[in-house]
Amino acid sequence: MSVTYAMGGAVTALTIIGLYMLFNGEGEQFNVGQVLETISPYAWADVGIALCIGLSVVGAAWGIFITGTSILGGGVKAPRIRTKNLISIIFCEVVAIYGVIMSIVFSSKLSLVPEDQLYSGSNYYTGYALFWAGLTVGMCNMICGISVGINGSSAALADATDGSLFVKVLVIEIFSSVLGLFGLIIGLLVQGKANEFA
Amino acid sequence: MSSGAGREQVFPTRQVLGQMNSKLKGAQTGHSLLKRKSEALTKRFREILKRIDEAKRKMGRVMQIAAFSLAEVTYAAGGDVGYQVQESVKNARFRIRTKQENVSGVFLPQFESYTKEDINDFQLTGLGKGGQQVKRCRETYARAVETLVELASLQTAFVILDETIKVVNRRVNAIEHVIIPRTENTIKYINSELDELDREEFYRLKKVSNKKQRDQAASDKEMKAKRQQEQQNGVKKNDDEDEEEAKDVLGEHEDDDVIF
Amino acid sequence: MEGLYFNVNGGYLEGIVRGYRNVLLTGSQYGNLTQCENIDDIKMQLGPSYGDALASLPPNPSTSALADKTTEKLVQDFRYLQGQATGSLAKFMEYLTYSYMIDNVALLITGTLHERDTKELLERCHPLGWFETMPVLCVATNIEELYNSVLIETPLAPYFKGHLSHHDLDELNIEIVRNTLYKNYLEDFHHFVNNDSEMAMTPTGEIMSEILEFEADRRAINITLNSFGTELSKDQRRKLYPDFGKLYPEGMLMLSRADDIEGVSLAVSGVGDYKRFFDEVGLNQSSSGVGNMAGGSGAESKSLEDLFYQKEMELSKLVFTQQFTHAVIYAWVKLREQEIRNITWIAECIAQGQKDRIGNYISVF
Repeated sequence: MSVTYAMGGAVTALTIIGLYMLFNGEGEQFNVGQVLETISPYAWADVGIALCIGLSVVGAAWGIFITGTSILGGGVKAPRIRTKNLISIIFCEVVAIYGVIMSIVFSSKLSLVPEDQLYSGSNYYTGYALFWAGLTVGMCNMICGISVGINGSSAALADATDGSLFVKVLVIEIFSSVLGLFGLIIGLLVQGKANEFA
Repeated sequence: MSSGAGREQVFPTRQVLGQMNSKLKGAQTGHSLLKRKSEALTKRFREILKRIDEAKRKMGRVMQIAAFSLAEVTYAAGGDVGYQVQESVKNARFRIRTKQENVSGVFLPQFESYTKEDINDFQLTGLGKGGQQVKRCRETYARAVETLVELASLQTAFVILDETIKVVNRRVNAIEHVIIPRTENTIKYINSELDELDREEFYRLKKVSNKKQRDQAASDKEMKAKRQQEQQNGVKKNDDEDEEEAKDVLGEHEDDDVIF
Repeated sequence: MEGLYFNVNGGYLEGIVRGYRNVLLTGSQYGNLTQCENIDDIKMQLGPSYGDALASLPPNPSTSALADKTTEKLVQDFRYLQGQATGSLAKFMEYLTYSYMIDNVALLITGTLHERDTKELLERCHPLGWFETMPVLCVATNIEELYNSVLIETPLAPYFKGHLSHHDLDELNIEIVRNTLYKNYLEDFHHFVNNDSEMAMTPTGEIMSEILEFEADRRAINITLNSFGTELSKDQRRKLYPDFGKLYPEGMLMLSRADDIEGVSLAVSGVGDYKRFFDEVGLNQSSSGVGNMAGGSGAESKSLEDLFYQKEMELSKLVFTQQFTHAVIYAWVKLREQEIRNITWIAECIAQGQKDRIGNYISVF
């Protein structure tokens, strides 16, 4: 509820300010392009790296708690599932590792550049590429982590009920864990063309 | 059997003998009557026994079904309805009246069951679930109680009859083995006593008559002498003849006894 | 979406409940049970599922002792889950216990009206419906006091308020009171699962709606069938029907007007399942409903009640095909209850030597 109010308030305030500026002939101050251009490519690159690792970890953590609670609960009556279902946890964990790897790759593009040379086309490209690659990888990994988590939770419960189901559900789980790889590949491709900051 | 029975402590007189004779006769009639009664009761008893056997078997079956229908209720209603039923009942729906039946002088109570259809206290039990089972269970139990009542009626009759038959048999046996032999013994005793008495009497009479004859002879002589002496005096003779007559009457009585 | 957040509160419990569900007796285990010769054998057969719970029973226990112990185990498990539950799940589980509370309160009201011994009453209460202030109810001496304490002390107060006055407690048959409460409870539960922020628009809401609708219909049909030949008027009857369900509203209206079993079957003919039930039992129900000599329906034919139970069990079983829902707990409790009933039934059949009816239990696994 409070979120709705806050959002509503913000939107109203923005609308009022926007309209005020528009009607006072200062509408061109709303210059999105300029804002984007004045943001430092470093900021873009660093936010991209942060999003990459951050979202990946969120996804992995989310997946792990979804799976983990189910494994815990299911393990009470069927303790045999606990070792096997660590695989699901590992799948989730892998997602975080993707994020780490990508962040390391991304961060290798970072280097110190004097300020007057910063706003070059190549640097802009590197900044944007890292930002969007990071976001892609992060979002993919987060969704992948949740997906693996839910599947893993089902796998744990299915395994607890009937041991023969584990492998079958695991196949599905592998498919969802592949989703993260897609993001990883695209992320690599996108940042591959970007040069180091120079 | 006569030896152990002993005899009654009576005076062996003819009057008592008469009494004893009538007593014996009475005892014999009583014995045959009681015997017949006991037979009638035993017949009835056997019949009841047979019916009890049947009723018990039936009860076994019915109670089993009833207990099972209770299990069904527990299953359907998903819990114990017993308490609720107990609490919601205010009036008896199943009632009993008693009647009496006379079997050869013995009053046997008979229970008769009937239901008051308008009383239906726990009809809503199990309204949500299991109501039909509760209803069915109630009917089954009503039948079971009916059988129980029948059985109770038979059992009561059985116990009462058993008691009565025992008493009657005891009486029959008492009459047969104690009273009749004892009376017979008493009669025998009285007879033997009377015989003894008779013999004594006879002997005594003999003695008396001997003495009398002697006396007679003596008195005859005396009389002869006297008659001769008192030919002239006739007044005193009259007196003597009176006495003679009285003695004769007594003698005759004794004679009768002997004959009897 | 429920997959994202459900496990925060409910993942562990769901895992446990599914674990519990996995040790429910299966068809083959029931088969073994029916082969038992005495209660001790049953006890042994139940060993793997019930473990230590039955260990304290004396050799060759009575069926009721067996039922008590199995129920005790259910209550124990339930209490454990309740201890773990948080958020809407805790509320949901409380709702689950309300139906037992209604029974208990009805029991206490009956007992208090007849001035029975408090301790004896409390012993008879269903342990799942136990609430802390329950002994307080027994202190009341007259109806008004009792009514007030019910309002204050029990979680059932909303079901009393506005529907029953203290005069009603005195005048109405306790069964009517109980069913009024139950109707209110079902409606409230239905409202809760469909409007609670954590449950609305989730599988929990959907599944519980279906189950509760079935429950509502079942109660309505049962009440109608059981009220034939009693003093319950049609008006009163109408008031006991819950205001939702597959039959609501036309079916309920027709039910309220039904005079005999045909009327009921006509009223429910709009819903395929119920129509099928009535078709299945229709013939023997009308001919042997009353006064059949065997003291029970024929061995092979199932009663309407059985079919309803069967349906409930199937619904409960289906719940387990859905993950991330509170409904599994409800379903598990129902399945366990049915299992206890089944065990009691089988034990009873064995104890009474009625082997021919022993197959009358309901097994869905």
